[in-house]
Amino acid sequence: MTNKLDMKKVKVALERKVAQTYEPVKPAMQFGFIHNNVDCIGCRACEIACKDKNGLPPGPRFRRVMYVEGGTYPDVFAYKVNMSCNHCAEPACLPTCPTGAIWKRSKDGIVDIDSSLCIGCRKCEASCPYGAPQWNPKEQIIQKCNMCVDEIDAGRKPYCVMACMMRVLDIGPIDKLWEGKFKTTAVGPNDETVRQVKNMANPELTKPSIAFVPHRKGKVKS
Amino acid sequence: MNIRFSIIGLITAALIPLISITAGCGKQSVPAPRTQEDIDSKSHFRATYDPLHFKPAIASATNEQCLACHREVLEERVRPVSPAGVNAHDTRAWYQQVSTYKGEQDTFHRRHLVTHMAKELMNLQCNTCHEGHDPREEAPGSSATGASQEDTGFTLRKQVNPEAICLKCHGQFPGWELMRLPGTWDETKHYFQNDCLTCHVSTRTHRHQVNYLKAEAIEAAAIAAKESGNGADVCLGCHGARAWYRIPYPYARNPWHEMPEGMPDWAKDRPVHSEPRFLKTEQKP
Repeated sequence: MTNKLDMKKVKVALERKVAQTYEPVKPAMQFGFIHNNVDCIGCRACEIACKDKNGLPPGPRFRRVMYVEGGTYPDVFAYKVNMSCNHCAEPACLPTCPTGAIWKRSKDGIVDIDSSLCIGCRKCEASCPYGAPQWNPKEQIIQKCNMCVDEIDAGRKPYCVMACMMRVLDIGPIDKLWEGKFKTTAVGPNDETVRQVKNMANPELTKPSIAFVPHRKGKVKS
Repeated sequence: MNIRFSIIGLITAALIPLISITAGCGKQSVPAPRTQEDIDSKSHFRATYDPLHFKPAIASATNEQCLACHREVLEERVRPVSPAGVNAHDTRAWYQQVSTYKGEQDTFHRRHLVTHMAKELMNLQCNTCHEGHDPREEAPGSSATGASQEDTGFTLRKQVNPEAICLKCHGQFPGWELMRLPGTWDETKHYFQNDCLTCHVSTRTHRHQVNYLKAEAIEAAAIAAKESGNGADVCLGCHGARAWYRIPYPYARNPWHEMPEGMPDWAKDRPVHSEPRFLKTEQKP
């Protein structure tokens, strides 16, 4: 039996909350994805596994494998960049949500969403520098990757990671992934990991929790 | 056989506009206005490769041209009730706290183009933010669109470059150290009666002189806010109080003729002028 809400109190609390300056959650540990841009063959099994798990209609793609190909013969190149939600340390989507549908878990830093609270204003979609929140035109709501929190809580890895036949997509504590201290099949013995690849928005905007093994043509000059 | 013909048809449909893109490179040609008949007769595939989506034509695209096909961005409204029963009317977003905002919750594009605040203070066009795209995978340089990999008009998974556009009005407060404040604005605002114009009535008085903003209306709103006691809240609406991002935008210095010569410390490593496409007609050389 739920108590009847005092709507006056709710309104006062809501105004206090909205007027506050946003301070991002500092999780005990931050999970993040790692993707090897060079060894990925672009089969999109991760995309399909994600859509299957989340029951997504045509349109929204939580995970997206982007084919980057170019150059002039003989200097041609092809590599893949694979991104879903980057579960940012300081997510832009979170404070923009007027209904509090988005939150960041304090234990592992996963940015989760309860789309049943979404009114479809699409602010989170616009504010995310990495295109993670996805518009579901049928439901008129935003949905996004939550790193399969149910799988994480059950001690398993997300569907996209489990579906990767090349084993180039993985998750782990992001600090260790950036330092190269986390054992994963996504990183080869001579590979180095980076936080940003070419054409990706500046990580300083929201500090995304993602690591890449970059292609030589995808490296960002520092 | 039919499949083969339809594939040939698709390839031809893709190539014709691509040829016109190549032919148009460097000419800054403006595509002819489209009639409803043109739009209705286009297949989705042909429309995707319309030259209007690419540089250089996109730079001169009008809102009417964009909205002829993309009219849903203004037609769609927020859901009155979320799937779980949250009433949109009972929720408040950050922007609704600013005294210059009037009205209910609204969608992102409508708030930037047609709502009261957008019309009063802004002059945003579709191509203020949208500088081009890649119909294949949203990565510059990944298909035969003419965009090089160095193109920064859009970024991976985004049709815009957030650092170049969104950050202008959704970044952090631009540096209390630069303004020689004793602390952050939250810590020190009471020294200034929570009013930016306490100092900025005589400092940096030529503000917002770009073609995507209505400078006079913004000044009037700031003065009205000062008189009504809302003070800094109007300025901070775009300058950090409700920032999406964790860094400030490095605004161009834009010196005017009475300003002392030489580059002040705060403006080092910053552009001297706003981007040429945002300069007002009278500012352009």
